[in-house]
Amino acid sequence: MCPMPIVHLAKKVKELKSGQVLELLADDIGAKEDVPAWCSRTGHQLVGTEEDGKLLKFYIKLK
Amino acid sequence: MADKLCMVVSEGTFDKAYMPLIMGTTAAASGSEVHVFYTFFGTGLLKKVAKPKLPGMYRLFTGMFSKKMKKVGIPGHDEFMKQAMDMGVNFYACSTTMDLMGVKESDLKPGVKILGAASFLKLAADAKTTLFIG
Repeated sequence: MCPMPIVHLAKKVKELKSGQVLELLADDIGAKEDVPAWCSRTGHQLVGTEEDGKLLKFYIKLK
Repeated sequence: MADKLCMVVSEGTFDKAYMPLIMGTTAAASGSEVHVFYTFFGTGLLKKVAKPKLPGMYRLFTGMFSKKMKKVGIPGHDEFMKQAMDMGVNFYACSTTMDLMGVKESDLKPGVKILGAASFLKLAADAKTTLFIG
């Protein structure tokens, strides 16, 4: 639930290196807009999204 | 991405307590500098143990509501504030209302700073976003 996907995402990103792709799973409908917004603010690249029922999947390539 | 978000919180109810934490952690997670200034009834939220209640008659349902929030992964108020601090969110108690509300410096959560209005306005002067939660 908002804002936890973004909070967890930001924490995880710190542990990863540039160029790595991170897969984020979220069941918060707000994430649909929030994750792309977060990417555009932080400069990381959203390379793919998938929807599996209520589950949203995001693939983010780190800058 | 060094933009800045400033918030003023003047109420101490459950809803007003969580909003700056949600906005603040999200902004910090997006690389913003975040400053939250607590004044009047908001000041009590900075005490070591704060148990905000829903407003009005809804206060009776606070426990049920907190449980629901925990279930969807949102931490309790004090833990959430600690997480926000760890993410770099700055929390300030308004020096004037601390006296009015009977909050002592030793009552405050570790990491909370005390600030006057002039200093907060200086912080907010070049913030891209300033929100008032009250």
